[in-house]
Amino acid sequence: MNFRNTMRAAIFVSIAFCYGIVTAQTPAPSPKKTAPPVRTWRAGDKPPAPQVVTIIHRLNGIKMFRLLARSQQQVQAISSLDFAFNLMDDVHTNVSAGLALDDGETIAAWLPEAEVEFGPVPVAAPAAPEAPYAPNVPNAAFPRMPNSFFDTPDITVIGADGRRLPAKYIGFDGVTGLSILRLTKKNALAAGAFKDEPVNTGEAVLLYRPEPVPGTRPFLRPKLYARMAAIEGRIQTVMPAPSGGVARFKVSAPKLSQANIGGVALNQSGETIGIVDGLEGSEASILPATLIKRAAQRVLEQQASVPRPWLGVKGEAITALKFDQIVNHGWQYKQAEALANNHRGIMLTSIVPGSPAALATLRAGDVILKVDDKDIQTAEDFTWWLDQAGPSNLVEFTILRPNRPVEEELNVKLSQMLEPSFSFNLRNPLSPPKGFSLLDQGIETIALRAPVATQLGTTAGLLVVYVDPVTAAFEAGLQPGDVIQSINGKSVSLFKLDPKPATYTFEVVRKKEKLVVTVPAKKK
Amino acid sequence: MRKNICEEIRRELDELTLDETCSTTTIEHLRGCGACREFHEKQTKLRQIVGSLGTVSAPADFDFRLRARLANESGSVSHFSFLSSFMSGPVVRRGLVAAVLLLVLANVAFLLRTVVKHRMASEELAKQQRTAAQQSETAKSQETAPPQTQETPKHDDVAVIPTEQPQKRRTERPRHVASPSRRQLATLDFASTRAEVINGADPSYAFPIDASSVQYFKLSVDDGRGNAKTISVPTISFGSQRLMQNANQVAPKRVW
Repeated sequence: MNFRNTMRAAIFVSIAFCYGIVTAQTPAPSPKKTAPPVRTWRAGDKPPAPQVVTIIHRLNGIKMFRLLARSQQQVQAISSLDFAFNLMDDVHTNVSAGLALDDGETIAAWLPEAEVEFGPVPVAAPAAPEAPYAPNVPNAAFPRMPNSFFDTPDITVIGADGRRLPAKYIGFDGVTGLSILRLTKKNALAAGAFKDEPVNTGEAVLLYRPEPVPGTRPFLRPKLYARMAAIEGRIQTVMPAPSGGVARFKVSAPKLSQANIGGVALNQSGETIGIVDGLEGSEASILPATLIKRAAQRVLEQQASVPRPWLGVKGEAITALKFDQIVNHGWQYKQAEALANNHRGIMLTSIVPGSPAALATLRAGDVILKVDDKDIQTAEDFTWWLDQAGPSNLVEFTILRPNRPVEEELNVKLSQMLEPSFSFNLRNPLSPPKGFSLLDQGIETIALRAPVATQLGTTAGLLVVYVDPVTAAFEAGLQPGDVIQSINGKSVSLFKLDPKPATYTFEVVRKKEKLVVTVPAKKK
Repeated sequence: MRKNICEEIRRELDELTLDETCSTTTIEHLRGCGACREFHEKQTKLRQIVGSLGTVSAPADFDFRLRARLANESGSVSHFSFLSSFMSGPVVRRGLVAAVLLLVLANVAFLLRTVVKHRMASEELAKQQRTAAQQSETAKSQETAPPQTQETPKHDDVAVIPTEQPQKRRTERPRHVASPSRRQLATLDFASTRAEVINGADPSYAFPIDASSVQYFKLSVDDGRGNAKTISVPTISFGSQRLMQNANQVAPKRVW
């Protein structure tokens, strides 16, 4: 045998050994054949928790820009973008749990990006007699705002048995943060029972949430599979509501993660006991079933989103403050000591200018002891009683002021807002910027740098991400997705101040075509 | 040292032709080295024999036939030509042989190790199954025991989580017991993050989510003060955690 043949044989043997080793690793010594990773639901299969559904919420490019503009990311302009990016194509898909209520057609879900489906809510400032100036008339009352002004929320409901169920988005509940949907077919779901009785500490619960099926990520195949999974936990703390019942309860579980937020909690009998609305350390905070039902009732009655009451203050419970912090807000030592020993009230730390609190002459350092004669001890108490009062209603506060020995009564007319933070950092309607402001016209925009503008068929401009549906700009036909190139003939980069013209002429690019939109100026 | 000199001398002697003479160094070496002298004599005799042979004339078509044959054979051996030329050197040849032998030895060692681990894992599994069987027998005997052993809290009695099923799954998929760390990499995927399915249903039930049209949202933004940053959003998320960092909280605390 010559050398060449020897080498060939050696290489062959080596390759054979390598192949042998690779194949030897694959099989595991399992006594039973493992099941295939994915099996879809078939007719006749009974889901373990029929009331737990899956919500798929898709966001397109324009909604992602809206979310970006409203976040606290300090975004001035978009400087670069993927070349193949399309504004109207899907960008993000959120898969979260939903809860079918006992009527079999109403769904409550904690959608994480629900705010992209709405606009900022105009603050209805009350006209107090001692107000230093007359507040602006609100653009529109909140309930009149349609939920589907431009593009309906792209939401799909998947039943516990895998069926896709058409649903309509009804509205957002500001008090709980829940979104309420309604199935178009009645009794499409066999909803499970609700447990209205108080839950007990130590009780075992199951926390349901959807999860991806291993090995089915989009880069492996175009379709991703998901399934409903559950982890077991135990109720650690039950926080009673000031007016009776349960305000929240906390569940500890070994494998809690951010993905559990929005999950549905069931007890061991399969009854719904709540929805996870937050994580605090290793514990999940659960919104109880009773409050979920009330939220759905509020939204269904209005057939629109329901804001929460807004006072316009920041504060902290006296019990959570240090002595120095009380003194720093203008309290003398003896009074501060008496206040700290009382363990009552909420100390206001800041007041939003022009807010209902400011108009009612509330100031930082004031301590609210009672709301409508109900004692306040914790921040949760204060939140609870304000929520009970409802938006746009009159409440009576009992307050203590620094260096005044006597308690005072004060009437405050609350305002309304989806959420106090839903002012989106963009505008404060009570203190509009001087000169021209697109925000003041109900138009939210984000600036595009030249390379990005070129992709959208223009040279530079402002991308419209939201148009208030009750403004002249909306009626004139300005749409989210338009790129404003010039205003009254001036480039947007140069346009700053204007001597209040009667109309604004926007030169916009829509789907790479130029259009002119004329909008009557909003009168103040 | 002397051996090296002899090698050099013999190489020179080997390259000599009939009409060439040795160098003075070689002649001096031959005087003192009997072995080299013998080698030189043999070489000289061989050359004289070869030189005494008469010349043979090649056939007329020799050149043509040689080229034709080379052309025919070049196609079949072309992929080995580089290899054979590469292996022609004695050092390279030895090195390659050593490398191949090492590779084969390493493979054999690895295979043996895998087989040993495999056997150990099987034995471990069998041991666990035996223990589980013993435990279940003990449990059965406890169930048939007098009623004082059934005094457990009420909420444990109404548990819907069938405790047998997770145990059954564990024996069905003995990944944590039997798999060596190298295998866990292949099956890692979402196992570390997904929830334990304990609802009693078959965990393999799933539904498709059409994610084919989802595009990647990655863009650069600036804050107007020369600070740029890249924002990247996953194409899909599970649960209700917020997408944007520092996004508005839906339920901010201490704000009314």
